[in-house]
Parts: sequence; structure tokens; C-alpha cells
Amino acid sequence: MHALDIEGLTKRYPTGVEALHEVSLEIPDGALFGLLGPNGAGKSTLIHCSTGLATPTSGEIRIFGHDAIDDYSDARLAVGLAPQELNLDFFLTVEESLDFHGGYFGMPRRERRERTKELLEIFSLSEKKDDRTRTLSGGMKRRLILARALMHRPRLLILDEPTAGVDVELRLELWHYVQQVNQEGTTILLTTHYLEEAEQLCDRIAFINEGEIVAEGSSGELSAKYGVSSLEDAYLELVGRKELSRAKVAEIAS
Amino acid sequence: MTAAQIRLVTLIRREVSRFMKIKRQTVGAPLLETFLYISVFGAALGSRINELNGIDYVIFVIPGLIMMAWAINAFSNNSSSILQQKFQRAIDDQLSSPASPAELLLAFSLGGFLRGMTVAVLTFIAASLLTDLPVKEPLVLIPGLFLTGFFFAQLGVLVGVRAEQFDDVSFAQTFVLQPLIFLGGVFYSADLLPDPFETLTQFNPIYYMIGLVRYGFLGYQETNIALSLLFLALVTGALFLFNLRLFRRGYKLRV
Repeated sequence: MHALDIEGLTKRYPTGVEALHEVSLEIPDGALFGLLGPNGAGKSTLIHCSTGLATPTSGEIRIFGHDAIDDYSDARLAVGLAPQELNLDFFLTVEESLDFHGGYFGMPRRERRERTKELLEIFSLSEKKDDRTRTLSGGMKRRLILARALMHRPRLLILDEPTAGVDVELRLELWHYVQQVNQEGTTILLTTHYLEEAEQLCDRIAFINEGEIVAEGSSGELSAKYGVSSLEDAYLELVGRKELSRAKVAEIAS
Repeated sequence: MTAAQIRLVTLIRREVSRFMKIKRQTVGAPLLETFLYISVFGAALGSRINELNGIDYVIFVIPGLIMMAWAINAFSNNSSSILQQKFQRAIDDQLSSPASPAELLLAFSLGGFLRGMTVAVLTFIAASLLTDLPVKEPLVLIPGLFLTGFFFAQLGVLVGVRAEQFDDVSFAQTFVLQPLIFLGGVFYSADLLPDPFETLTQFNPIYYMIGLVRYGFLGYQETNIALSLLFLALVTGALFLFNLRLFRRGYKLRV
């Protein structure tokens, strides 16, 4: 059974813009899967359709075999989403953010209390537990969003550009968390603009462009497919900007 | 507790926690406002007006003020809470949870309903301490107030979901809701008005809500009580079903 199974997914907005066109994608259980593509390629729309934040126009989405569109209860229980935006509830404290999230996912109070304590420690937020979320630094907000996504122990963790705009130290810290969570058995779908991040972390990668999955494989397989030597060059081939390749730029400079 | 019950309770807790964290603004301010109305219209003007239809003027206006407090607070809480959460996208945490559209709608509705009830109960306690406010028909008063509170809670949800900026919420409150409430007869009896205003008042749905609440407190009947209750129940039910349809479609909540 796949962690995420998408078949013929199309999303057309009322304006007529088609963000996803007949997308099919399978993410195996336990994988650390990267979804790469330029801005506006459809990455976030695919994530929103899988988590109930967008309504697909047509197609099917199954999460660990559970329907994620109509009879979505079991599918949503299995997914944790750390979105791109720092969408914390400013009225809540750090501790309440985790506790309320656990409640939205039906966790009993005792379990919520234990899990909250555990996550606050893992993400070094224990000292901030009574602070309102709006008072946190950007890095702390990012960590809290990841902790919140993990609160209900999802089997599939979706990370939408988790390291966008964070400093090097936090980025490495987040990589460490992501790898650890994956080793513990959680499947991860990661979107990122940092290709070295995808190369280092992901065992499989898909390229999405203009609402369609255009290539899929390991980093080496994708490079081979485009006849280049790195994932970055393969990506530049995809977006039609191969003149920006580091090798080309170095050649011109010399 | 089942998982569904935990979800619903947590969703409601979130709404209550929001207004309790800013209680000076959400409970204190409306309480002061109502107290000022009672002071100005009751003590100051009331001493000149003396009695209205055989009832002390201050006693005559208090039921309407209690109803108004519940209505406006239920409305403004829900419209603001939903719009704020949409702005921050914090609402995505609830929307991506297993909560059903009905659970989400009920929780958002009850947030404002409970805030309105808090202000109304505190107003009632204060008014009872200051005046000799009777409760003559509790079997009409309680359903009348509950239905009114729930109707305005639904209206707040509707405006909050539809709104794209804070101006949309304040427009609905300032230019639609408050004139309807003020002209519905909170401070006067409609039969004192000359025509066509007396007739026009009868087209204002809030006139019937005030009629129910005033009858519940004072036993003073201006409108047909049974018909008003039935009409209010039907309109509130219809609005709930309309909102439920919007939540099922994800209208302006999900893209």
C-alpha cells in the first residue's frame, strides 16, 4: 500500500486557470520523497488537495488506502501538514497550539499533555510554552509548525518548503529532525527550492512543471534522464534555463 | 469521550479562549456600553418619560438591551474570529483536520453564541441589582433569547466567511445590523410611531425578536408570540442549513 496515491488529479480554479492537469503520483510507505518545481508549478496545490485545503476538480487521492476527498476522516488522521506560511494562531500560546491541534485530531487530554511535553522538549520550546505564538522568532515559529504537524503522530508528513527563509543553523537542525522522523517510519513528502536539500534528504524525487509531473526517479536517475551531471542541471533543463548551469557559468568566466 | 466529541469541544474551546483572552474588549466593553444605555435612557431620559404602556421606562428598555447585547456580540465575535483566522491562514489547522463541515460550523457558531450569552447574563445580573426587573414568561424568554443568539451567531459566521477585508464586517455591523436593531424598537414601543413608520417596523425581523424577549421579561405583548417563535425558529434553521451548505462546499474557506 502506498502512503500517497494520486490518480488523474486535476485542479481548475474558478478563474479557469488549471493548476494541476491529470497528475498521477505514488509515494511508497516509508519514503522521503521530494517534489521539485518552479514557483506556480502546482506543488502547493497538490499538497492542498491532499490535505483538504483545496477541492480537486477531478481525480482520486488515497492516503494509506483511505479516500482523501469525500470520506476523508481516516486519510486526514494519517497526514500532518507543515505549510509554507507561518500560519500560527496568534491568540494561542505555544503549548495551546499543540494541545488544540491534538484536540482537532481527537486525541484525549492525557495523551495530548504527554505528547505536547515531548514535542516541546524535542524542539527546544519548553521555556516558551506559555508565550503567545506571535512573540516567537521566525525560527521558533518554524519549529513550532513542524512540532504541530507531528503532534497527532501522522504516518505521512507533508513539508511545504520548510526551510524557506531560515538561517543555515536552523536549516541543518530541521534536516536532522526530518531524517530522524523518517527513520522512525514516517513517510515524508517534501517540497523545496533548495536542490541540495532534496539531493541530500530524498530517496526519490519528482519534477512538477505547469501542473504536470514531468519526471520522477532518484537524483542520479533524473540527472541521467536529462543527460547532465547533477540534479541542479537536470532542474535547469526542466525549466529551460540551462545557460544558468554552474559549469556553463564557470566556462564563460574562465 | 469519542474522538468526534473531543474535536468539537476543542474547536469550541478555541473560540471561547479567543474571546476570553481579550475579555476587556469582548466582554467588558459591551457590558459598559449596555450599562451606559441603561444609565442614559433609563435614569436620565427615563425620569422624564416615566412610564411606557404602564411600565417604567427603564424596565421597558432593559429586555431590548439584553437582546441587543446577545445579538451584536454573537455576530461580531463570529465574523471577526473567522475573518482573522482566514487572514492568518490559521484556520487551515482546523480545515485540514478530520472535523466535518457541521462540526466546524457548530463550533464557530457557538463561540459567538457563548460570548453573547456571557454579556447578556452579566447585563441581566447588573440590571436585576439596579432595578426591579421581572421574568414573567421564562418559557418564552429562554427559547426567544437562545434562538435570537443563535440566529445572530449564524449571521456572523456568514459575514465572516464571505468577508475579504475587515471593512466588510464593519459595514454589515454598522450599516445593516445596528440600524435594524435600533429601529426594531429597543428604546420605544412601535405603536407610538406614526404611520408609515409603525407599518415599516413590522417588516423588520428584529422587531419580533424584541417582542419575544420583552414579553418573556415583562409579559407585555406587542407581537403574536407563537408566530414570532415559529418564524424565528424557521429562519434560524434555514440560515444554519445555508451556512452548512457553504461549509460543505468550502466556500471562501477552501480554494
